[in-house]
Amino acid sequence: MRTRESLGGIGLLAPTVLILVGLVLYPFFYAIWLAFSDKTVGSPGQFVGLRNFIYVLGWPQFSTAVVNTVVFTVSAVAIKFVLGMAVALVLNQQIRARNVFRAFLLLPWAMPAFVVYLVWRWLYDPLSGLINYALIDLGLITNPIAFLSDRNTAMLSVIIAHVWRNFPFYAISFLAGMQTISQELYDAAQVDGASRVQQFRHVTLPGLYHIIGVVVLLTTIWTANAFEPVYLLTGGGPSDATMVYTMLVYVMGMMNLRLGEAAAVSTLFLPLLIGLVLAVTVLLQRKANA
Amino acid sequence: MRETLSIRVTTYALLALFVVMVAVPLFWMVATSLKTNKDLYEDFTYLPKRPTLQHFVRVIQREDLLTNIWNSFAVASTTTAVTVVVSAFAAFSIVRYKYRGREWIGRFILFKYVLPTAMLFVPLYAIVVALGLGNTLKSLMLTYLSFTVPFCTWMLMGYFRSIPPELEEHAMVDGCTKIGALFRILLPLSAPGIVASAIFSFTLAWNEFLLALVFTTDHTTMTIPIKLSMMVVGDQYIWGQLMAGAVLATVPIVFLYFLGQRFVVQGLAAGSVKG
Repeated sequence: MRTRESLGGIGLLAPTVLILVGLVLYPFFYAIWLAFSDKTVGSPGQFVGLRNFIYVLGWPQFSTAVVNTVVFTVSAVAIKFVLGMAVALVLNQQIRARNVFRAFLLLPWAMPAFVVYLVWRWLYDPLSGLINYALIDLGLITNPIAFLSDRNTAMLSVIIAHVWRNFPFYAISFLAGMQTISQELYDAAQVDGASRVQQFRHVTLPGLYHIIGVVVLLTTIWTANAFEPVYLLTGGGPSDATMVYTMLVYVMGMMNLRLGEAAAVSTLFLPLLIGLVLAVTVLLQRKANA
Repeated sequence: MRETLSIRVTTYALLALFVVMVAVPLFWMVATSLKTNKDLYEDFTYLPKRPTLQHFVRVIQREDLLTNIWNSFAVASTTTAVTVVVSAFAAFSIVRYKYRGREWIGRFILFKYVLPTAMLFVPLYAIVVALGLGNTLKSLMLTYLSFTVPFCTWMLMGYFRSIPPELEEHAMVDGCTKIGALFRILLPLSAPGIVASAIFSFTLAWNEFLLALVFTTDHTTMTIPIKLSMMVVGDQYIWGQLMAGAVLATVPIVFLYFLGQRFVVQGLAAGSVKG
């Protein structure tokens, strides 16, 4: 009876196991094998040892991609954190029609990402884009700025578009956390004469530690692996100013059809990613079990 | 008293700022889709002076966008149908059965949920080509399961845990099989959770970009994100049509989002009352 029952359980799980093995585990190890081979599309590929890694590491575009990925990830996460916290604090106040405002401010996150980046590409347009027209009408600039094709503004422009689309995830998570903090704690702090800022530092923030940890780790992984903002806004240009590692893997693998070198680039990012993924897995499981 | 007043002022000032920040790009998307090309490229206007639906007509007639919308719909709904069935079984198995190794499967599912597709698209591409599925919608229906199934299984595991197992145990005492209890007791009780996970799965598949970009190359097999992104480079004066396409791609998803919000909230409330 007992074995029959566990057989039933395993039977129900079988399709999922098949999907995980065939579409996650196998490709995962296949990618690592690819990184050590000279496979191109249509050829079987031979083991070539560390040749791809040596090539990739000695290649200036790779170090540019590492620096850009770090700059993009760190600044985007920092801005999303601050903006998301501010939005959550505002939505946590007693404001009129709070549900309407909450639903509205979450809209960017509900929209398809590709739509958001196409809209921003058009907002940034140097000839007919809204931002240039508005800045000229306000008298802030006299000549239009080519936001996405100027080396000085391209990265910042991509970051802003990405932040616009993704800050609601921070806001909604922080807001959910704030609503679990007991009002009594705030009342007690007020009795002790704590100012609003002190209440935030000593009541709100400590109450959010766990959520902050999960959200920051999770979105660091997602941000470091973002592809659409760069692909749809700049394609990695101008002259690699926004070339992040996912874009580089795409260019290598899909445009130059050098699968081995493309896989080597992503394999080099693997240790860092696995570390982050394991950390967030542990945090999330603790939450699920609590 | 003065402190509360200043806080109220700051709150509403910030709120207004955030609303404008979110509204401007949305407004611009819709306004652009309704403007004539003259208003877009010659006499710049903030509001559509002579609102027109010509871009919607053109993007459907000239660019055949309905084909791509249909492709997206076919992929997203097939993926979702398979995902909901497979994930419900998996979550039921992990939560309600006892056998060795199920915690490890649970952990691995979570691991995959956070592991980004960008790590896997090169080998998945090689696999799709080897299976002879290059440039087909089937390649997307198959590979999208790699992220929808872990996500929905994880979500449904939480849902099923919130429903007390005693209800199913009672049914089984009355002669119901364990699988029967899943269909008669657990699934009806977790209907909001099933709907929510279907909505998430549909949205993930509808929005997916990277795999669709890599796997499909024909205008007839492209899903809507890829088709629209290909239109950007085609023509300088394409923005009216592009924003019309963007509106068409957004409406179903935002509709599902509002629908989903209701179900998620309902489901959570039901779970807490019964639990």
